[in-house]
Amino acid sequence: MTLPLSLRFALRELRGGVKGFRIFLLCLALGVAAIAGVGSLSAALVAGLSADGQRLLGGDVELRLTHRPPSDAQRAWLAANGMVSETIQMRAMARGPQMATTTKRALIELKAIDDLYPLYGAMKLDVAGSPQDLVARRDGRWGALVDPAVSRRLGLKTGDTLRIGEVDYEIRAEIEHEPDSGTSAFVLGPRVMVAGASMAETGLVQTGSMIRYYSRVMLPPTADLDGWIERLKQAFPDAGWRVRDVRNGAPGLRNFLERMRLFLTLVGLTALLVGGLGVGNAVKAYLDSRGRTIAILKCVGAPAGLVFRIYLTQVLLLASAGIAIGLLIGGLAPPVLSGLLRAYLPFDAAIGFYPLPLFMATVYGLLTALAFALWPLARAREVPAAALLRDVAAPSTTRPKPIFIAAVAAAFAVLAATAVLTAERTDFAAWFVLGAFATLLLFLAAGNAIVDLARRMKRPRRPDLRLALANLHRPGAPTLSIVLSFGLGLSVLVTVATLQGNLSAQVAERLPDQAPAFFFIDIQPQQVTPFEATARAVPGVGEIAKVPMLRGRIVALNGEAVDPKKVAPDARWALRGDRGLTYSGSPPEGTQIVKGEWWPADYAGEPLVSFDADIAAGLGVGIGDTLTVNVLGRELTARIANLRRIDWSTMGINFVLVFAPGLLEAAPHSFIATAQATIDAEVPLEVAVTDQFANITAIRVRDALATANRILDNISVAVRSTAAVTLVAGVLVLAGAIAAGHRRRVYDSVILKVLGATRADVLRTFLLEYALLGLVTAALAAVIGSLAAYVVVTQVMGAPWIWLPGTIAGTALLAMAITVGLGLIGTLAALSQRPAPLLRND
Amino acid sequence: MNNLSSMIDLADVRLTLPSDAGPVEILRGVDLSVAPGESIGLVGPSGSGKSTLMAIMAGLERPSAGDVVIAGQRLNDLDEDRLARFRRDHIGIVFQAFHLVPTMTALENVAIPLELAGRGDAFERAAEGLEAVGLGHRLTHYPSQLSGGEQQRTALARAVACSPRLLLADEPTGNLDGATGGHIVDLLFELRERAGTTLVLITHDPALAQRCQRIVAMRDGLIDRAAEAAE
Repeated sequence: MTLPLSLRFALRELRGGVKGFRIFLLCLALGVAAIAGVGSLSAALVAGLSADGQRLLGGDVELRLTHRPPSDAQRAWLAANGMVSETIQMRAMARGPQMATTTKRALIELKAIDDLYPLYGAMKLDVAGSPQDLVARRDGRWGALVDPAVSRRLGLKTGDTLRIGEVDYEIRAEIEHEPDSGTSAFVLGPRVMVAGASMAETGLVQTGSMIRYYSRVMLPPTADLDGWIERLKQAFPDAGWRVRDVRNGAPGLRNFLERMRLFLTLVGLTALLVGGLGVGNAVKAYLDSRGRTIAILKCVGAPAGLVFRIYLTQVLLLASAGIAIGLLIGGLAPPVLSGLLRAYLPFDAAIGFYPLPLFMATVYGLLTALAFALWPLARAREVPAAALLRDVAAPSTTRPKPIFIAAVAAAFAVLAATAVLTAERTDFAAWFVLGAFATLLLFLAAGNAIVDLARRMKRPRRPDLRLALANLHRPGAPTLSIVLSFGLGLSVLVTVATLQGNLSAQVAERLPDQAPAFFFIDIQPQQVTPFEATARAVPGVGEIAKVPMLRGRIVALNGEAVDPKKVAPDARWALRGDRGLTYSGSPPEGTQIVKGEWWPADYAGEPLVSFDADIAAGLGVGIGDTLTVNVLGRELTARIANLRRIDWSTMGINFVLVFAPGLLEAAPHSFIATAQATIDAEVPLEVAVTDQFANITAIRVRDALATANRILDNISVAVRSTAAVTLVAGVLVLAGAIAAGHRRRVYDSVILKVLGATRADVLRTFLLEYALLGLVTAALAAVIGSLAAYVVVTQVMGAPWIWLPGTIAGTALLAMAITVGLGLIGTLAALSQRPAPLLRND
Repeated sequence: MNNLSSMIDLADVRLTLPSDAGPVEILRGVDLSVAPGESIGLVGPSGSGKSTLMAIMAGLERPSAGDVVIAGQRLNDLDEDRLARFRRDHIGIVFQAFHLVPTMTALENVAIPLELAGRGDAFERAAEGLEAVGLGHRLTHYPSQLSGGEQQRTALARAVACSPRLLLADEPTGNLDGATGGHIVDLLFELRERAGTTLVLITHDPALAQRCQRIVAMRDGLIDRAAEAAE
């Protein structure tokens, strides 16, 4: 079989090697590897999550009730329809043995287990024996299994006593692995596991306490999951439990993985786009060097279309090679990186071959290569055959034919559409694409402005500065491509660094002024007054705020069940499970009512509710609409009286839903309080309150924020690494541009030397050129990157902006260092050239 | 097209190119007719427009005005791709700088026009062509591995590979030493005579021009009729 003519010619041309295409291959391989890696790893994680679904969920179906256990009828139904294991979970305080004056205490996540726990997977403990045997009452003492962190914090060991509520437990073992732990990202304390039967004695189980009752059900292997859940709902339509099954066992984790995948894919796409500029530069440089060959081919009768196909074929062949390298690296991400992630995730990635992410990475790679290569290819097509006769190079202003301009636009459009349409959050992806496009245009304009400015500027008297300045705007100068690619990569890094710095700074710097030191939960109504008195008696304790709290779920709007799919993505969280509810005659402090009126303090009448304005907009409801919540299995309906804007960043107590007096008072509930305190007062306050009220749990805000910060730090490592890939792509393009200018630099340095310049003079001239370029690019990236971060912080996150000049300056300095460093390497190579061979006429 | 009265018919051909200093008139009304099988030597000082005139005959350059008819085909009417195909089928060009594709072997270079014409026996014919110019032993060599004379012989083999009816040669010996140049010219005329090809030879060398049946002189973008008459 004979190969098509264009392929035959393309292969002949490529025999000469791919020397000029190293940057092309690297750029494409890097971007594709980033996308394929992120995709493969997240596919492996999601598969791992699914494979471990039963273990992570603790059953085939999980039912959760807040405040109250299942009724006898519900228990009977569940027992008749599967094997049921019940656990009770809550936050509580654990104390070591009482000493003379102080007692160490720790906030713990308490879990009370039954005889069947765990239905799936197995507990791993540091001693032999079943968890049930170990937690059982022995010689009148209940046992506890503890996370090693509990022993560490309280200075206890196995055999010691641990007091929770009113019960002294004996520590019988340390937990090495809990099969169903860790699907929730935000855990405030270490685990302690006790017998369900011991809970009644603790005194923690009180009306309105934040206690969650889980019923995990193992179904017969043949059971139809959907049918089972449907029958459950029919049997108990008003139960108000949250139902999860093995298919969506860890929705939080799954959502988190999906978000991370989307975000990192988009960052990877940016890396690919930055690399695309390198692809475009490489193709242009190659085709410029092929001008003579193209003219020869045309002279001997090759039509322009064939010329285009020959070089398109070459680009596609090389792109395939670059993509293949990228796929290989990206495909290896799951086995290589899953080991690192094991410490952070409660399950293992399912190592394997995931064709879909690799296919998507291939599509992105091909589209990028095409989008950036088409323009130079189309221009090469127009190289006149007459170029051979006279020294007619294709003028640099040659525009491709309209059809090719349309093709370039189409390639970019398909690239953008693919990124947006394959994303789960299309709105987020669309904004990202728009932002990237705007940034690209901004840099393009800025690059052009620099070239223009350099051209118009008054010639400096110093020859080195004059030459450096001239090098920025001479025809064929790489200024534009360097500013574009390197600037884009750098902007992403500035954005990410500033964003992360802002988030950390919000938590670390801004909050202590206003934030409370403690949250106290599970305060019984009759304990409110003595609690306040006890807390106020501690020196250094400031303002104490307290509100009643219940948990309830929004189940209907205007009498109709809510379909989360029809709700704006930003508002979905409000429907996901229980929300805190409260009631109040007066508006909470700092309330900003954006619509409607607050009710009179002594209001009595039709049930009213005040709703968060953003969520109301997301749910599509407003003043006068009704809203139904399920509280303890009862459905309560109220009319929306006003909409509030809530500033969550104050860390004060706030609720999406605040009801008018009259509706919720009768429902069993507890109080939640915040207390401000000096650092010195924190420990005495915690001791005073928890000693006197064993059922009240103190959550130290400082510790909770540290936990949040740790999570944030772990995420930011992943984000920064991917952002760094973008910068590496930018550096590659920069290196490519510097390498492409090598001949020019050699020639310039030879001429300068002939005219009497020393090596130091020559070096200074070139370094000035790169320093200028680096400075301008860094300044632009700092401005654009900060602007992007500013928009995200103030508009998306609604947080106040914190200016971080150090972070920005650091990133800009890095840019300067890279530009000058690479320029130096290139210049030293040029300086070592002997002048004579270049000056000889041949 | 077999009974053509002339192979080349140029009528009032003009070419004006824009430049920073204003339009430059390169050809100012050239009339020229060349009979089939005739050989002409195109002479004139540098900048007189010889190479541009040849580019117009080859369809490499479009005139600003005037008619260009080659082998009975009016080139003014053809778009770029049809011009390329016309060249492939009817015109062979030899350049002073050889212009071989550096990434292709001698054999592949000669085969290009045959392959473009869709000839299944492109490589056999190319090998025969190289044999005919004495390069049968250099088929797999790249241009960089050939001497100047060998490169020009390869270019010559490529120019005549498709048996063109018109052979255009622009200073074919300009880059070669005397002896090598002489050999190339012998070869050029030998190939032309064997096939009865029309030849337009641009040269500075009066002796070389003398080997053609007719000498056409150019000066300032015009045919220098006086010089022609004197010849």
